[in-house]
Amino acid sequence: MTQAALIQQHSFLNRVRRYYFSGARSTLLSLICFAFLAWLIWTLIDWGIMRATFDASARQPECDANGGACWSVIANRWRLIMFGLYPYEEQWRSALACLAVVVTMVLSCLPAFWTGRRLAATWFLGFATFFILMKGGILGLPLVREEQWGGLSLTLFIFTGTAVIGMPLAICLALLRSSEMPWIARTTGAVIDAVRSLPLISILFTFAIVLPFMLPGFLIGEKLYRVICGSALFFAAYQSEIIRGGMQGVAKGQDEAAKALGISYRHRVSRILLPQAFRNALPATINQFVITFMETSLVVIVGFFDLLASGNAAYGTGEWTFAFVEVYVFVAAIYFIFVFGLSRYGGYLERRMSVDQR
Amino acid sequence: MKKVLNIAILATATVIGASAAHADNGDTLKEVKARGALNCPGHTGSYLGFAEVDDKGVWNGLDIDLCRAMATATLGSPDKLKVIPLSWAQRWPSLQSGDVDIIIKASGGTFSRDTELGFQFSNSYYLGTTKVMAHKELGLTSMKDADGGTICIPAGASQERQVASYAEKLGIELETVAIEKTEELEDAYFSGRCDLYAQWGPVLAIARSVSKNPDDHVLLPDVLAVEPEVMISRQGDDNWVDISNWVLSVLLFAEQEGVTSHNVDEMKANPPTNEIAKMLGAQPGFGKPLGLEDDWGYNVIKNVGNYSEIFERNLGQDSPYKMPREMTALWNNGGVLFPLVID
Repeated sequence: MTQAALIQQHSFLNRVRRYYFSGARSTLLSLICFAFLAWLIWTLIDWGIMRATFDASARQPECDANGGACWSVIANRWRLIMFGLYPYEEQWRSALACLAVVVTMVLSCLPAFWTGRRLAATWFLGFATFFILMKGGILGLPLVREEQWGGLSLTLFIFTGTAVIGMPLAICLALLRSSEMPWIARTTGAVIDAVRSLPLISILFTFAIVLPFMLPGFLIGEKLYRVICGSALFFAAYQSEIIRGGMQGVAKGQDEAAKALGISYRHRVSRILLPQAFRNALPATINQFVITFMETSLVVIVGFFDLLASGNAAYGTGEWTFAFVEVYVFVAAIYFIFVFGLSRYGGYLERRMSVDQR
Repeated sequence: MKKVLNIAILATATVIGASAAHADNGDTLKEVKARGALNCPGHTGSYLGFAEVDDKGVWNGLDIDLCRAMATATLGSPDKLKVIPLSWAQRWPSLQSGDVDIIIKASGGTFSRDTELGFQFSNSYYLGTTKVMAHKELGLTSMKDADGGTICIPAGASQERQVASYAEKLGIELETVAIEKTEELEDAYFSGRCDLYAQWGPVLAIARSVSKNPDDHVLLPDVLAVEPEVMISRQGDDNWVDISNWVLSVLLFAEQEGVTSHNVDEMKANPPTNEIAKMLGAQPGFGKPLGLEDDWGYNVIKNVGNYSEIFERNLGQDSPYKMPREMTALWNNGGVLFPLVID
């Protein structure tokens, strides 16, 4: 073992001793906590793996006999959970569409894609692929209307749609609110505050169900797109305040100096103000994205079969009512993968940006 | 929060209803025929026995099969049914706006739905009762014996009020545990936190039948409240309401006369009575006055079955729930259902 490794190991043990076993009281507390953790993890493994039933043909009697989790429900109903009411024979399309959105999301997270043109092209291609696959009606794919979409692909579509419409809108709102013309700033402020004072459910309900009574026929469109617009508006109202907070952290002198140099408004905003504002606002922005992803499950209230609703439908039959915990664990795992990925990415961005700052 | 939302939604629906009730509600049958599909409500998730989804995403259930019967009567095929998932909150505005043509969603006929929301009802296709389940080891024979017990009830639902007033009537004291989510509620009862569990009858019976040891639980004979479940249409389209009533009557009349999906061909070829001949379209005159084909009754029975077949398939002996018909039986079997007279 090299000296460095020895020192490291030594310091690791030292640290453990210092942090967890420095005195009688902390030793006791640590032991209790570790014992509790070990018990918790053991219980989970015992329930989820050791005594669990994985056989797809097993039903309640077999599962009860084994005593653990009954993953047979997932084996039988996973397609319902993942794809909702999407026509059974066409579900490969929904799977590919999901993949397209995930790839688009991952690509646009890579710094190499961070130019306006590349981002726009990626998203355009991503959405076009998603749309052609999901809706069909061309290239020999049978037409599947939006009301039959469901499961993970619907959740992802609503989330990305909200983000893609909501983010530019949020930037606009933030800039308008910090405008030097008082009536613009005040009107925007009033709009933002009004949207923020309404619960998301009531906004979704209004956009999905009440709006068709008020709009002229050609403006009504599909319920799905109205709901995404409502959700994007809600997202933008919150996100614009986050961005404005970030902008306030940029020293006023920078803007004034840029003005003195005769730099145009467009460049002052896009090259000086926004990049710094986004860096300041990054943790809160990631937070907002995570919340938005979770909130997509509220669309059940207007009759969409998103991931959570399909999960409900999956255990909602006489055979499987007993296995709702397993279904919820499965759905939670899917949410976890996406949200954890988002948070990790946020952490990476913060590290990357702080390198620039130094 | 949920209550506030519900009130807001009801208010919206009332406002829309008031303005829409007297407007021209059009001819639903004509719209359905032009569209080539009947739009019927499903559920966001599932409602055991009434609307649930199989492994391939196909809807099943008592309510869904009634929708299939409507689709078959109006368009000739059960495949012309389009199920639109609706949350409970959404059903009234969706009917008013025309997103669905009819509401068949375990919904009772009430005064405010009739007048304020501007709807019309068919005859009742199911008598929903509020009942109480108890752990058998307690040895209860009726609610009277339950004095001092703990009862689990769904929070914010009408059962809360029904239990309170029933307990008052009997002069007994009950400790209530109100829980909103059905899974948690049932968990609380089955884990022994409550002695009793009050719920809408079918949900209760299903909860018992799918529990680990159904025999450890008894349904008490007390009926705390009844709610006739009906098919709900927009006000001002009398013919559409007539169609829903006659579809139900055909299902019940076929059961009463022993016409099933298996013997319907034979019955049509050699009808034992004039009424059956007329219902199955062996004689003309059953379709035209309603704007339907003359053999719509035959199509419904052939494709969907009579009421008994629908019930047994979804809730009764052929389903996992094994519910008895009880009050939902025909009048000649001790139930409350009856067909109108085909003359």
